[in-house]
Amino acid sequence: MLDTLIHSALLMTTPILLAAIGGMVNRVGGIVNIGLESMMLSGALVAVIAASASGSVLVALAAALLAGAVLGLLMSLVITRLEANEIVVGLGFSVAVAGLVRYLLKSLYGVSGTLDPQGVVMLRSIEIPFAADLPMLGAILSGQDPLTWFAWIMVPVTAFVLYRTRTGLRLRASGAAPMTAHALGLDPLGIRDASTVFAGAMAGLAGAHLSIGVVGLFNEGITGGRGFIALAAFYFGRNAPWRTALGALLFGFFEALQIRLQGHGVPAQLVQMLPYLIVIIVLTGLGLADRRRSAAIP
Amino acid sequence: MTSAMAQMRASSLAGALIPVVLALAIGAIVLAATGHDPLSVYRLMAVESFGGEKRLQATLSAATPLLLTGLATAVAFRTGIFNVGVEGCFYLGGIVAAGLGFWLVGWPSTLIIPVALLAAALIGGLWLLLPGVLKVRLGVDEVVTTLMLNFVAINLTSWLVNGPLLARGSANSATPAIQKAAELPRLLPLTTLNLGFAISILLVLLYGCWGRFTVAGFRSRLAGLNARFCRAVGIDVSSLVIRIMVLSGLIGGLAGGIHALGLVHRFVAGFSPGYGFAGIAIALLGRNSAIGIILAAIAFGALASAGATIQLFSDVPIEITQVLQGAVMILAVAKLGFGRGRGTAL
Repeated sequence: MLDTLIHSALLMTTPILLAAIGGMVNRVGGIVNIGLESMMLSGALVAVIAASASGSVLVALAAALLAGAVLGLLMSLVITRLEANEIVVGLGFSVAVAGLVRYLLKSLYGVSGTLDPQGVVMLRSIEIPFAADLPMLGAILSGQDPLTWFAWIMVPVTAFVLYRTRTGLRLRASGAAPMTAHALGLDPLGIRDASTVFAGAMAGLAGAHLSIGVVGLFNEGITGGRGFIALAAFYFGRNAPWRTALGALLFGFFEALQIRLQGHGVPAQLVQMLPYLIVIIVLTGLGLADRRRSAAIP
Repeated sequence: MTSAMAQMRASSLAGALIPVVLALAIGAIVLAATGHDPLSVYRLMAVESFGGEKRLQATLSAATPLLLTGLATAVAFRTGIFNVGVEGCFYLGGIVAAGLGFWLVGWPSTLIIPVALLAAALIGGLWLLLPGVLKVRLGVDEVVTTLMLNFVAINLTSWLVNGPLLARGSANSATPAIQKAAELPRLLPLTTLNLGFAISILLVLLYGCWGRFTVAGFRSRLAGLNARFCRAVGIDVSSLVIRIMVLSGLIGGLAGGIHALGLVHRFVAGFSPGYGFAGIAIALLGRNSAIGIILAAIAFGALASAGATIQLFSDVPIEITQVLQGAVMILAVAKLGFGRGRGTAL
């Protein structure tokens, strides 16, 4: 019982975590990415199509990554080169891509809403021989798919790159002080674009996890607002990779809990409200702490 | 002087038209790539939305919620408040008006309609009080709080309509139908065009006068242009921000209430197909001006009503309208190299 809950919580965390890491890096680089949902959706669709056409999981993942990255690049160029407001552009991408996906499903595949092609290969879970027998730890370590491993490995990797390397320093400089970065001979807009491409790629993988990692088909509602939950997670984490991961884990746990509690009288919708409410509470708490700190300075 | 003004007007018109033209070009590429002739599809859409009195009425009916969500957004944007939470207010206003619409049995129209609409507006205003206060007192980014509150509102109303307010014997998530007395009277027989349209147009025009001729309207624009200057000359920007946020919520809630009483006659899951977000596009495209909001709302209304019919008469999926809407949103804030300061309100 506990083991299955742990296992499903981790499974639900993976897409949120992947997109949240991407969004966090993007935000450190200076762009708040509201379009993660659209990149996730495109990744989910492309992964299913590629998985069925090629029969290879690797090709499917690469295609999903590419789809998200291309959308990320497009969005970034509109923001950095055409000086468009990031929030409106992000919302615009969410609207346009959701429409485009449904449009293409109808006009190219003649289906409305769900695409379930023949021969979709799915991510396989990695069984770890001895760990599997351990209580609790077995549920955590064994039976996870490669994207879950990748997502969690990316947490320390991102932490290291952001705060211990030259690349990370440049990214943070482009986000925090683009003029200074420019004066130092860096290309802050180019660096920002790169961070959005990264975010798009991660969100594309997140979409692939939903479609070829969990269900094996594509549905127009497959992302179900997870792009925005990822946004909630990296706001929760305030640019810190481990705290962001904690946020993603918390929201993944809520989702697993909600599925588990279905039919036990706990309304799913009320549990689904929690991530959004928690972010507002966390931001309020941070605001209060800031005010207290500034009041303490004479 | 007058020629300079004419020039400004011409450049702002071009500024509003260019994103639309480019969005249509993007839509044309999508249509052509999927084997449709873009020109004939667009011609069909134009005919279906403006050709003839009946179709025009359908377009205006579809524009009704958009007028108000556009207005709700514009009020906030012109004051420099980045409120993206109108969608949530729309849901809450809709469920409150629908709830009162079926509970208040036996009330006359003259009582039940004002009460339900007032309650719808109030819930919207209250909903945005919190992000307003958080922004002013604690410096919490209103973009995040209002965006998050949308999802809270959508889930909350979805729970209500699947549980406590679910119509007896109804399989799909919907409340019972409202009383006949609560339905907004139709402006013309045999159309869906109702009193809500008149109320919406009136409010947008009132907003135009408020912005142009009143001190409060001038102050709000000033706060949007330069909040620091306002503080320096003694305008209480904090209380202004809270009041405008609540005003924006009131209008958003009213929009949902009018949609429930005027068109849907109940509350259903998925009550809004993104009217609140379309409102952002409308406010941006209309440059927060009354006339601009009206024109943009009618254009989006045309898109919605044409989308529904082109699906019947051709094999073009209705979602092309969503693609166009998203493209307009993106392009409306992009600086496309002509004129100055596109989307400077933000």
